[in-house]
Amino acid sequence: MSDPINVRDLAVGTRLMLGTGAEVEIVSNPKDGVWLFARYLSSADDPAMVGEEEMVFAQDVVEVRS
Amino acid sequence: MNGTRGFYPGLIDLASGQISREIFVNDDIYAQEQERVFARSWLFIGHESQIPNPGDFFASRMGEESVILCRDRAGAVQVFLNSCRHRGMKVCRYDEGNTTVFTCPYHGWSYGTDGALVGVPYFREAYHSALDKAKRGLVKVAQLCCYKGTVWANWDASAPPFLEYLGEFRRFLDLILDGWDGREGQAELLGGVQKWIIPCNWKFPAENFSGDTYHNISHRSVDLVGVGPSGRSRRDYNELNASRKLHVAIPDRGHQTITYVLPKDHEPQAAYQNSPEVAQYFRDCEKERRRRPGANSRLIGAPGEIFPNVALLPRQPRTLAVWHPKSAHETEVWRFFFVDRDAPQQVKNFLRDYYIRYSGPAGMTEQDDMENWNYAHAASRGTIARRYPYTYEMGLGHAVDDYEWDGLKVPGRVVDLTKAQASEEPMRNLYRRWAQFMEADSWDELMTWRRDAPPDAQAAQ
Repeated sequence: MSDPINVRDLAVGTRLMLGTGAEVEIVSNPKDGVWLFARYLSSADDPAMVGEEEMVFAQDVVEVRS
Repeated sequence: MNGTRGFYPGLIDLASGQISREIFVNDDIYAQEQERVFARSWLFIGHESQIPNPGDFFASRMGEESVILCRDRAGAVQVFLNSCRHRGMKVCRYDEGNTTVFTCPYHGWSYGTDGALVGVPYFREAYHSALDKAKRGLVKVAQLCCYKGTVWANWDASAPPFLEYLGEFRRFLDLILDGWDGREGQAELLGGVQKWIIPCNWKFPAENFSGDTYHNISHRSVDLVGVGPSGRSRRDYNELNASRKLHVAIPDRGHQTITYVLPKDHEPQAAYQNSPEVAQYFRDCEKERRRRPGANSRLIGAPGEIFPNVALLPRQPRTLAVWHPKSAHETEVWRFFFVDRDAPQQVKNFLRDYYIRYSGPAGMTEQDDMENWNYAHAASRGTIARRYPYTYEMGLGHAVDDYEWDGLKVPGRVVDLTKAQASEEPMRNLYRRWAQFMEADSWDELMTWRRDAPPDAQAAQ
């Protein structure tokens, strides 16, 4: 299991991989350590999500891409 | 009121001026107050100058409960219960700040600045997208009113609108919210809110600020020290010597105050003598205030109380206090200080020093008051002490309606204190209203003025 990611430190524009395999880009960070606002760049499970802005739960973030 | 619960006239006997100590020290009565008084009254939340920008918030209280005062992203003022809809955890644990969301640290539910539930962890996976988020937002107050910058809220949708709740007491609230020169709504908060806990029932300070002029002796030491803005006494009294000193009680609302009525064509007197620049500023403001039309140009504000737990002190110092109930035996005091927003910085600095010298936990006058309330409460809790009611007989039968002096009419029930010095009419007014709230099952019973009003006036309300 990888180390937990402190989402408070992540800047707007950072790309993330989620547990579902989807890739998102942070559009804003409330810095509450729990949530991020992000836009979907890819989503194999649900292609309709691409381009949508959603709240992303910290525990769903598995990798920081850039 | 039918008096079936025993609060009126059983515990509150206004005909003889006897009030049982039980209403101050009894835990069961205190618990009932939370539902019957605080869940139905208009309560002070804060001031808009505390939340100027979208996302700004201030954690306030309504009765015992924590609420969030917030300016949402659209710029609207919101007030909601500070408790997550999932397991009740506080979603805001800071006194004030700016945020985009209020996130519960327990399971991660997250709410927008308008109170809407926007984030639920594993909404799709665990809830199968079946949770109705629209029904799980933070609990909003039933009514909200922004009046000249102040924010008030009420949990009861059937309560009258705030200005109707104030009735004719509105002009006395205006004395603290309007500018020193009489312009409308100039007040802004000076510094932070002072908060502290005192070991007494909330009604001790509420009664005191209703207009207790009888206890001036307990401030004798402060007068001798001369904490006032002219280096003498604790306030500038020159204008008061030419005025009529009144107790004003609004019987059907439960609000009451001390006020001073200036004679016609009265010239401003020397004040704020510790600083020539500040003295000149206030002299100019007072001249301008006297040029303005309206009765308030001839009124000088003094301690007063908006039912149930908001104290006004419109002048010297200009401050508002909230007596938050914490238990039957503890009160959390929040004191807000005000200045005119466009006053020179030098004036604000001068007043800050004076305000904190006078009020707040370190203020010399407030310390006198707290000592009285705290020891009075402690000495009233015992088995023997509870057998003996407090005495509120002073000035019984001496209040008048339709009071007028030098061409100025004053609303409500009035006692002229210019010679009498003191009365307990304001306290009787407070406890009469308190008993009505404790007895009444609905606001229909409490809005006696609507029943008494002619049909056309009822339609206007």
